[in-house]
Amino acid sequence: MKIKNILSILATATFIVACNHPSVPTNAEKEARLPRIFPDYTEVTIPANICPLNFVVQEGATEVVAKFSYPGGEMTYGDGQKVEIDDVDWEEMRKMAVGQSIDVEVFAKINNTWKAFNPFKIHVAEDSIDEYISYRVIQPSYVAYEKLSINQRNLTNFEEREIYNNMAISTETTGQCINCHSYKNYKTDNMLFHMRQGYGGTMIVNNGELKKIDLKIDETISAGVYPAWHPTKNVIAFSTNKTGQSFHTKDLNKIEVQDTESDLILYDVDKNEVSIITELEDELEVFPTWSPDGKKLYFCSAKFEYKNDSVAKETEMILRYKEVKYDLYSVDFDPEAHQFSNVKMIYNASDSLGQSVTLPRVSPDGRYLLFAQAEFGCFHVWHNDADIYMMDLETQNVQKLDNVNSARSESYPTWSSNGRWIMVASRRDDGNYTRPYIAYFDKEGKAHKAFELPQKDPNFYTFFLRSFNRPEFMIEPVSVSSKEFTKKAKEDAIKAKYANQ
Amino acid sequence: MKIKPKYICLFIFAIVAFIMLPVTNEDYLYTIQENQVFIKGVTFMKDMVNSYGGWGTWISCYLTQFFYYPWLGSTIIIAFWCIIYLLIIKLFHIKGKWTPIALLPSLFLLFNLLDYGYWIYYAKSPGFAFQPTILTLFIALGSFTLKYIGNVFNIVKKNSITTSFILCLIFTACSFFLGTWKLNNHKSSVLVTLTDKNFRHEMRMYRALDEFRFEDVINEMHACKDEEHTRLMVLYKNIALMHTNRIKDIFKTDNNGIRSNGDNALKVKTSLLGAPLAYYHFGLFNYSYRWAMENSVQYGQSFRNLKMLARSAIMNHEFEVAIKYIALLKTSLFYRDWAIERETWIASSTRLLQSEEFQTISPITNNGMKNKLDGDNGLCEKYILGFLKLFSEQNHSHTPFGEDIAICTSLWHKEAYAFCVHFYNYVNNHPNQPVPALYQEGAILLGTDENSPIILDKFKFDVPIANKYNQFVRDYNQLQQANIDHTEMGKRLKSVYGDTYWWYYYFCLDLNFY
Repeated sequence: MKIKNILSILATATFIVACNHPSVPTNAEKEARLPRIFPDYTEVTIPANICPLNFVVQEGATEVVAKFSYPGGEMTYGDGQKVEIDDVDWEEMRKMAVGQSIDVEVFAKINNTWKAFNPFKIHVAEDSIDEYISYRVIQPSYVAYEKLSINQRNLTNFEEREIYNNMAISTETTGQCINCHSYKNYKTDNMLFHMRQGYGGTMIVNNGELKKIDLKIDETISAGVYPAWHPTKNVIAFSTNKTGQSFHTKDLNKIEVQDTESDLILYDVDKNEVSIITELEDELEVFPTWSPDGKKLYFCSAKFEYKNDSVAKETEMILRYKEVKYDLYSVDFDPEAHQFSNVKMIYNASDSLGQSVTLPRVSPDGRYLLFAQAEFGCFHVWHNDADIYMMDLETQNVQKLDNVNSARSESYPTWSSNGRWIMVASRRDDGNYTRPYIAYFDKEGKAHKAFELPQKDPNFYTFFLRSFNRPEFMIEPVSVSSKEFTKKAKEDAIKAKYANQ
Repeated sequence: MKIKPKYICLFIFAIVAFIMLPVTNEDYLYTIQENQVFIKGVTFMKDMVNSYGGWGTWISCYLTQFFYYPWLGSTIIIAFWCIIYLLIIKLFHIKGKWTPIALLPSLFLLFNLLDYGYWIYYAKSPGFAFQPTILTLFIALGSFTLKYIGNVFNIVKKNSITTSFILCLIFTACSFFLGTWKLNNHKSSVLVTLTDKNFRHEMRMYRALDEFRFEDVINEMHACKDEEHTRLMVLYKNIALMHTNRIKDIFKTDNNGIRSNGDNALKVKTSLLGAPLAYYHFGLFNYSYRWAMENSVQYGQSFRNLKMLARSAIMNHEFEVAIKYIALLKTSLFYRDWAIERETWIASSTRLLQSEEFQTISPITNNGMKNKLDGDNGLCEKYILGFLKLFSEQNHSHTPFGEDIAICTSLWHKEAYAFCVHFYNYVNNHPNQPVPALYQEGAILLGTDENSPIILDKFKFDVPIANKYNQFVRDYNQLQQANIDHTEMGKRLKSVYGDTYWWYYYFCLDLNFY
């Protein structure tokens, strides 16, 4: 009987704690400004299906209360400095506020006095977001790497799972770097990622069947890098690069990643054949991306002529690193004949602006093209001045997306499958660690204020010492298990053939 | 009252373990905890418990923190070993003269803790110092519980002495392998831990340098006269001399240095052991940050790396990321105050400018130099020497500190031309002032070099220096005429001329950097 009593008391106590909503302080002093909250969710527009936006109040308070008012009700939360919203409550709030907004009022107890900050709105868009995203989780190191994984995250809740973890087969002598995950049309039955060094090769899932391919052939500079899967055909465009890195003695960008050589290739998945798209002399071609109809391939290219034969290319590149500026090009593609023609520069950033364009991505409706732009170079994740720009492909007008950008690096822009959401990798939190930021892109072509990918523990980003690189949208989870990838990774790669055209 | 043998054994073991740990290996234990990390919160906990045995790792990481005070951490771990011993006695019914057998697992755990040597910097398994103990304790407790259940159901009967002995040996083997299996079957490093004096000197010098106790660094170097120093010790010593305005004494102490010991598989590198701190002391904050980051990526996060990341970020005015590292350090048991102090530097630039660290380092940063792209190829000391050369070339020789650096760097590099220019400027900038002995030693040797742009024959050298140099030349020639081997010559001349620049010039040849 005694034990039963204790258990029932414990259960009741747990229930009370779980359902506890703090009351709003009645005697709070007005503080005429927005509260400092992290992540910053003030005045953001969120998808109709996103998980709760938990945050921490950074006002040095001992207690906080946040009141969420939404059409049809209100809720309060607060636990120390954290505001963690119950999943069920959030779903109700979000559903009721679709097309409208949730008003949030924050109260903080600072030096034993309650302060009431200006309320802010969280706008709930009518548009949903793709249920999944994936990213590479990596420490922002320079040369060394150890534990790397490509993870997928469900945006409607906080569930995260590893797609592949290099430590599954890495050893002291066979360390393995993984990178460049890519999906065909946001679906995962056709996807790939690349493994370098130990057990190297490109892991390609073709209609659900997993293969490991060695894309390095004698005719190309390297294996495939920066992949882009054709939206309708079973072909993948890659760049091939000879990449090096060096270090700034003082500049806070710290590191410079440079290609001393790069070309574009096309890989035919069914025929296991590699063909060359471009290999122009004195041009560094990189970052291919398809138009949604698959009839154009966009890419970036920098004109760079080596002038000094007495030093190695790498040395000259290091000495002239600020001269490397990429422009935006397009090339027509005949999907039936697999033929490329008519290379055109569509945005001259180098000569006219003294800028360098990287990582282009076309919106699913084919109207807009996002890219990252900075003063020089190709690796904008390490360039603090890198920002996201957008070209209207109908008018060729280019605009900087101020609502998406920050004073720090923004790179790897990408579109959701419905074209209503933009995701970028941003270093705005602290300048060193890359985080996924999502922004609403409305029907008028306007990008709204970007918000950080929500986490269950709002302090997560403070305590997490790894970056989220190359965030990509997916409409479904990856069906191949981590175990299957690991098993295949241990096998020898199938050598790709050269398609002699 | 008669004390039972099992308690006598326990007492003797505890005393021996205490002598072997905090009494004789204090620095070792401190360094172990500094190269590990424990961060309060779910993120770190999830990261730890994600792998097999993760809870044990997490607990071990927490307990390793207590080695910050070596006696405290030792007391905890010895207490665990004693519990394991008593549990084994109980578990296997060991009695009387057989009780010492029950100490074997604990003895192996002690041995295992001392078996790391230089592996303390390289071991990748978090909480490795406590992990075998925690796992053995879990197994012992688990076995004990099972035995209790077994007794209840009358499954296990009392063991014979032979069975107990065998079981006890199996237990011992388990405890031994629990400690070593993750280290890729490296050769035992217990001798390095117990007998390699340079290993200890390096740890002490690092800690002193980290705490800006430069006199202690120099004293530690002086304390090891009979041994061959490691390059790392030479680097630490020279940093301390520089910060105490005694860079002129650089050639009075040894500048030859061997590679730090450790078993051959390790190839101990300066980039891991001391590069972040060394670069920090030379104001090369990007490089300091870089190596702290690289090391934390490759060998796991540690309090040492977090400190260096925070410091470098503060000095680079990257306050947002510095706050991140400080937030992590604030969750620790013993680095909280350190972190809070740095937090005040970020909050108040005056406090930063007034801090000892800033005041000490600011004269030698690369602030006045242009940014460029380069790399150190993992050779920290070599890169620093190259930096000093640039530092002295780029208009820094107008301050007394800059003058000293410029002259000493040219002497270090044995560059007659650069030295003579700096020496000429020095003499003209300080008329009617005595010229330091080292500079005179350099001038008397390099001033006659064919590359010398300035004729120094009008310079009046101090008579004792001139006489000593003439004597050095005579002695050198004498030994050379006697066909004495060059290394042997160096040894013979060291007692008289070892503190002169001439000895460095002729006998510190082909310095190797690691």
